[in-house]
Amino acid sequence: MLKHDVVIVGAGLAGLRACIELRKRGVDAVIVSKVYPTRSHSGAAQGGVNAAFDENDSWESHFFDTVKGSDYIGDQDAIEILTSEAPGNILELQKMGVVFNRNDDGGIAQRPFGGQSFPRSCYYADAVGHMMLHGLFDNVLKYDTKIIYEYFVTSLVVDNGKISGVAAYDIKEGKFHGIAAKAVLFATGGYGQVYSSNTNALINTGDGMSVAIKAGVPLMDMEFVQFHPTTLKSTGILVTEGARGEGAYLLNSLGVRFMSKYAPKAMELAPRDVVARAEQTEINEGRGVDGAILLDVRHLGKEKIMEKLPQIMQLSIDFEGVNPIYEPIPIRPGAHYSMGGIKTDNNGRTVVEGFYSAGESACVSVHGANRLGGNSLLDTIVFGRRAGIDIADYIKNVDFSKFDESTVKRDEEIFENIKKSAGKERHGLLKTELQEDMRKNVGVFREESLMKKAIEKIEELKERAKNVGVDDKSHLFNTDIIEAFEFKNILLIAEIIAKGAVMRQESRGAHYRNDFPERDDEKWLKHTIAKLNPKGGIDFDFSPVKITKFKPQPRTY
Amino acid sequence: MEFTVKSYRFNPEIDEKPYYKEYVLNDFPGMTVLNALMKVKAELDGTLSFRRSCRSAICGSCAMKINGITKLACKTQISSEIEKFGIIKVDPLGNMPIIKDLIVDQEAFFDKIKEIKPYLLGKKDYIEDDFKALKDGEKIKQPVYYKTEFQTLTGNNDTPNCILCECCYSECGGVVANPKYLGPAALAKLYRYSEDPRDNDKNGSRLVNGSKPAGMFDCVLCQACEEFCPKGISPVKTIVKMHEKAIKNSITFSKGAKHIIGIARSIQETGRLDEIKVAVDSVGISGILNDLPVAIGAGLKGKMPPLRLKLIKDMEDIRVAFKDLNLEEKHD
Ligand SMILES: Cc1cc2nc3c(=O)[nH]c(=O)nc-3n(C[C@H](O)[C@H](O)[C@H](O)COP(=O)(O)OP(=O)(O)OC[C@H]3O[C@@H](n4cnc5c(N)ncnc54)[C@H](O)[C@@H]3O)c2cc1C
Ligand code: SF4
Ligand code: SF4
Ligand code: FES
Repeated sequence: MLKHDVVIVGAGLAGLRACIELRKRGVDAVIVSKVYPTRSHSGAAQGGVNAAFDENDSWESHFFDTVKGSDYIGDQDAIEILTSEAPGNILELQKMGVVFNRNDDGGIAQRPFGGQSFPRSCYYADAVGHMMLHGLFDNVLKYDTKIIYEYFVTSLVVDNGKISGVAAYDIKEGKFHGIAAKAVLFATGGYGQVYSSNTNALINTGDGMSVAIKAGVPLMDMEFVQFHPTTLKSTGILVTEGARGEGAYLLNSLGVRFMSKYAPKAMELAPRDVVARAEQTEINEGRGVDGAILLDVRHLGKEKIMEKLPQIMQLSIDFEGVNPIYEPIPIRPGAHYSMGGIKTDNNGRTVVEGFYSAGESACVSVHGANRLGGNSLLDTIVFGRRAGIDIADYIKNVDFSKFDESTVKRDEEIFENIKKSAGKERHGLLKTELQEDMRKNVGVFREESLMKKAIEKIEELKERAKNVGVDDKSHLFNTDIIEAFEFKNILLIAEIIAKGAVMRQESRGAHYRNDFPERDDEKWLKHTIAKLNPKGGIDFDFSPVKITKFKPQPRTY
Repeated sequence: MEFTVKSYRFNPEIDEKPYYKEYVLNDFPGMTVLNALMKVKAELDGTLSFRRSCRSAICGSCAMKINGITKLACKTQISSEIEKFGIIKVDPLGNMPIIKDLIVDQEAFFDKIKEIKPYLLGKKDYIEDDFKALKDGEKIKQPVYYKTEFQTLTGNNDTPNCILCECCYSECGGVVANPKYLGPAALAKLYRYSEDPRDNDKNGSRLVNGSKPAGMFDCVLCQACEEFCPKGISPVKTIVKMHEKAIKNSITFSKGAKHIIGIARSIQETGRLDEIKVAVDSVGISGILNDLPVAIGAGLKGKMPPLRLKLIKDMEDIRVAFKDLNLEEKHD
């Protein structure tokens, strides 16, 4: 059995940022990740990270924009931390070696992003996530951190409400290990793979959330799923909001900039939920182009496209066969980001003592019902950093708790049973069925009858999942069994999303109900809390929203 | 369209020796090689093993040889491969031990990245020193850095865009010749930090470390790294720039550095420079050094069959080729 003071599960931005705080304080912290750190999904972030630097900008304005963007269900104490600590955090990154594009006056260049009243998104061309991920990882190397990679975490081990460690499967060797720790941080990212046509990496299967809820840690606001308005039509690969930040137009089949109808002031730079719904409405009403909308950057000119959006240009050419210098890019809304997640406080703490979460896997909540572009990278570094500092403090006065090896044994048996199973169901195919169903029935526009269908489908898939077998029975680098387990994780997450969405009878942010088109503050200005009951069913509860400065107002753009 | 995927297969736990297995699939518009492999895995054969994550050419997981050429599977269209080769033949990367099927052991590659100290040097560690959470009405002042200071780091094809995909490493002639050689990605990273205006490398330790045995002077200037990089980066150009810098700073203790100086002199003396038509940017040693890759590349090409790929797979060939060039005796 391995034993370390702190185990950080996940090597995206949140995990790495926390790790740096711990390592520079000399803490015995290790990183456990199912992929090598630089393969993490954070590297795919394109557009920018928000911080109010400009003389004419203020963090208070960023604060308000985020509260409004969240459709007033984000916790304002947390959003205040997010926005007031933003500039300081960006400067820390800069000190660590992260490169941002610069203005002529020598400051960090900033571009406009949706739902932000000021251009405050710091960027590195259109690959800011890549720059940040590699920059932070390089710092983790600097502190000579032990990286346990290609290990797949399957369970939390908890003793009397206190964390004892995790159970993890060494993918290369095909062996289970217990890893004992005084504190565990989950920075395991999102669950984009619940939906077909998503922008996420294939590894984003909501593992951390699923493992946490199974260990009794509640998940919050899971029905709020962000659909990004501009993803490539055939693959779902993202085209950054930065493209619209640089001035791109959205056109329907008539060549009309239709956003004038839906958000006359903000136009293309309205928040994502608003733009995604506008697009879907245009498509549904027959003004799409082969089921897509056109994103036009031609008027920006070749030079600006090559300088500011080189990755977008390459992705459009490679994945859609369209050169945006000469042709508009066919795009449509795709599942993108998880506003909900493991319920934490402002330092990443959860209900289990010593168990923390940060980044997309966590729900603090700063994004509420709709995340603003550029706020999620910010979330990972602000709350990753805070969690790291808090953990360093926490472990000073605690000891290792008793590590019950039976959890590890149980997971080992689950894996062995899947391997032994003669079941004929293929997890790869079940996954596709689930993803399609979720896209159709728990997507941009929702209504009870459709979501009930989705829940029926999920029940059916749960039954069929019992007959999942794998072709690969070997120990060595068995990705077949990993995928089988990941499928079970997304199936559980899908169920929590769908059931929460049926329950929330209102429209707020990204959660839009055809049958309840209005926001209902009287009944629904509250967080949804999901827990598993002993029978494996899901119980829902609610908790109040923290409102400190800004009273809910109608949200128009 | 129906097409065939022919994959290298080897699971040392079960198989006595490697073999190829074929799968027949139907394509869809825009299908990539990664899509095809995933389809095989999901529908036909779950044992086929490969790495993947982002599927958008940014995470560096899915590099492999596709019809003999090292590429990212997620960025390679089926249609264009079929047009050219009629088949999708996939093999694991070179220069790295094979774990299973298309999965290789990357440990040595990552160790080399770590070895070059990929972070800003000379800065004191800080704990909480000047971090500031803002209070009402407060703003923060940021340090000023001019665009020009980051000029070599913020262009489209500049070194910070490296995704550590190992395409270059897989084809690197330097690694073939000396498995301990740091390789193109690590050296490009070394260059990236040496060019950073915030780096405080007072005594030039980066270049000194980079010049040690198995360092930058072990580059054989074959240019494979530039040719195969899916991000348009040219590690070899950065390596040559560092050669120049090292030599200018008299970091010439390594055998490699001496070679380079020797070759440059010989080219100067024999006038072969004209013959191989290299463009000289400036006179003197620095200009010639800049053009060395072209010179040597041409030299190698003359001695070797045109298809370098095939060659690099075969270690012995390249060693013979180097012996033929006989750099050591001629120029030491
Ligand atoms: C295409 C795209 C573009 C984006 N652009 C922007 C943008 O411009 N601005 C912005 O603010 N936000 C953006 N986002 C959102 C943002 O990138 C993510 O929310 C953020 O990077 C998440 O970081 P993270 O550290 O929480 O998780 P991730 O980076 O997803 O990392 C998760 C880590 O957890 C590990 N892990 C997961 N499960 C397990 C397990 N079972 N066992 C072991 N390890 C595990 C993984 O290996 C990985 O290392 C974008 C997102 C996408 C999809
Ligand atoms: S030019 Fe040098 S670094 Fe590049 S592939 Fe050839 S030997 Fe390797
Ligand atoms: S230099 Fe290019 S080929 Fe080499 S690892 Fe980096 S991105 Fe890949
Ligand atoms: S899957 Fe990420 S580079 Fe291909």
